[in-house]
Amino acid sequence: MTERSTDGFTNATDPSGRVIRHRLVDRLYHWLMALAVLVLMGTSFVPILGFKFQWLEIHWITGVLLAVLVVFHVVRSVVWQNWRNMVIGTADIRDIWREARHTISGGGAPPTRPGKYDSLQKLYHLAVAILVLAVIASGLLMLLKIDTPLWRRDPYWFSADAWGVIYAVHGLAAMAMVTILVIHIYFALRPDNWRFTRSMFRGWISRKEYSDHHDAERWKA
Amino acid sequence: MEFFRYTKSIYGGQEQMVGASWDLLPLFVAAAMAFIVLHVIVMAFAKARARRPH
Repeated sequence: MTERSTDGFTNATDPSGRVIRHRLVDRLYHWLMALAVLVLMGTSFVPILGFKFQWLEIHWITGVLLAVLVVFHVVRSVVWQNWRNMVIGTADIRDIWREARHTISGGGAPPTRPGKYDSLQKLYHLAVAILVLAVIASGLLMLLKIDTPLWRRDPYWFSADAWGVIYAVHGLAAMAMVTILVIHIYFALRPDNWRFTRSMFRGWISRKEYSDHHDAERWKA
Repeated sequence: MEFFRYTKSIYGGQEQMVGASWDLLPLFVAAAMAFIVLHVIVMAFAKARARRPH
């Protein structure tokens, strides 16, 4: 009988002994989402910086595509993957505290070895999830203000004050996404995180990286 | 520095918020840069301490 891994799959180790961390479909999702976010940032912030072009159509179509991608990700996480791998628990809060104390003062107990994702990755994912859901929810509402081939504009759904709040949420979340994206790229480029970056390109980490950095009980690969 | 953008209705009256102020964009970029610089310093400090003989 094959044991089901905590990743929600059977046989998460390929024949070469590498541990599969991200399947092709998940890597495609990640890079398509990255592309969508970059297009959305380019079509929103570049005109603000003074380079004017017809940005609206590219922006809303990409925004709808991002929403579809996120729905796909949520469904896949809940139905086919183990979404609990990404949930922050009390052990993660304890580990974040231990990590900070250990790094800053060198004292105290070191954090425990994580499962598939460490505590800070989970925290980062939570921040991204909140911001992306905020831009998508506000962005979908903002579609009521434009004519498209699929619907006619109807800006009277909300009062002027409510529209102000919706636009503010969209703008603030979008700007916060810039902060989050820059920090994400920084961590992806750090040599101590190259195994994660490689796994997002090629899908795997080595068996040694798995046993050195992960708790096999918490991530049964 | 304003946190939000405001406009006046064509019918006059009080100002209405129409969104976040784009003046904040450099602050969000600066926040990311500040985080990175702080992280680099802390990690370099931790690495140096780990190398020191006990």
